[in-house]
Amino acid sequence: MAKTILIVDDSASVRQVVSIALKGAGYEVITANDGKDALAKLSGQRIHLIISDVNMPNMDGITFVAEAKKLPAYKFTPIIMLTTESQEDKKKQAQAAGAKAWVTKPFQPEQMLSAVSKLVAP
Amino acid sequence: MAELLIAVIALVIGAGAGYQWRARKAAGAAPTPAADPAQESLTTFAGAVAPVWSAQIDSSRSQMEDAISQLTEKFAGIVEHLDTVLTSSSGALDDGQGGAFDRSRQRLGEVVGTLDEALTAKRESLSELHSLLGLNEELRKMSGEVTRIAAQTNLLALNAAIEAQRAGAVGASFGVVALEVRQLADRSQTTSSRMVENVDRVAAAITSVLATAEASAEHEGAAVAHANGEVQAVLDDLMTTLSRMRDSSQDLEQAAVGIRGEIGDSLVSLQFQDRVNQMLEHLRDNIDRFPEVAAAAASGKAPLDAHVLLDELSSRYTMVEEHHAHRSGAPAKVQESEITFF
Repeated sequence: MAKTILIVDDSASVRQVVSIALKGAGYEVITANDGKDALAKLSGQRIHLIISDVNMPNMDGITFVAEAKKLPAYKFTPIIMLTTESQEDKKKQAQAAGAKAWVTKPFQPEQMLSAVSKLVAP
Repeated sequence: MAELLIAVIALVIGAGAGYQWRARKAAGAAPTPAADPAQESLTTFAGAVAPVWSAQIDSSRSQMEDAISQLTEKFAGIVEHLDTVLTSSSGALDDGQGGAFDRSRQRLGEVVGTLDEALTAKRESLSELHSLLGLNEELRKMSGEVTRIAAQTNLLALNAAIEAQRAGAVGASFGVVALEVRQLADRSQTTSSRMVENVDRVAAAITSVLATAEASAEHEGAAVAHANGEVQAVLDDLMTTLSRMRDSSQDLEQAAVGIRGEIGDSLVSLQFQDRVNQMLEHLRDNIDRFPEVAAAAASGKAPLDAHVLLDELSSRYTMVEEHHAHRSGAPAKVQESEITFF
């Protein structure tokens, strides 16, 4: 059975690009527009990996990661931050919140798949 | 981009005013009171233009986001369709080459094989009929032999009757026996003649059936050979057609893979929207602050210093190229993606 990945980004184009890359590699994909939307989608389904933007309206990516990690079902779920953010302190905040990897945009699909496959097989 | 240029000019005007304020302060002059017409004019100007610039930037962001979203959605749809086509095309090819054609060839071969078996069985029956004809000939010869034996027996009985008559009373009873033997010989001859007639009739019937069956077998043999040739020809045509279809399908498949790759690359390039959107968002927020800063300066609370806005703008940057453009005034190349595992 294919693994399910949640993509959280306020940019529709980024959500589409990541979705196409992951679906092409055999993953199931769910999308959310921001951290708040993503938290609502965590309940009631099995998600094996999360890819989240950092700067988003309503709830930013780092707050979302911290909130997701408080949920027992997602305590050990790997999370990749996908962002334009270049500041080191943000990267450290994401790590402290529980993120497993930091990928800067614009990304190549192969890079994303490589990062994803290191954390969860298709 | 015209709005951005105007914004830059306004910031330069602001920077100039800040320089004048600092110069007056250095010369010991008191801060300009709120009633300064020039400052009031700048406040009015900032309050009038900043919301318009901000609205225009938001409008541009919105239009760009909508357009790029629609574009990526369309591209995603095309990619999904291509994936579906590629999957079904690949399956059809596999079945066409290794499945349907081989099954058809096997089934047609079985049909031809069945016809061949029927023909072989018929030829075996014909061979049996030939044997039967030979046996019938044997019967005819045996009947002829019986006829000859009966004739000789008759002749012997006649001689015996003559000898019995010559013997007189002593030979009377022997004459009766000789008569009986002659009658038996006659009946044997009659029966033998009827047997020969029947054997000849059976032989004629077998010969007739054999002739008809041999003609039919020859015709059927030719039909089976023709059918075999036709089946082979049809299979060859089918194989040629399938081969062309396979080549054509492979060409289409390669083209579809190429198009999918091109679309994938295009989608990657469309990530610019996310970056430009954030840059414009930072600029809009900074423009929104312009009237506030101008009003503060007009009221004498703070100097009209461009660095106030520029520092705020800088603090919002998230991308390396934003910092670079801010420092150098020149556009910077987009940084390649980096991956860090924690």
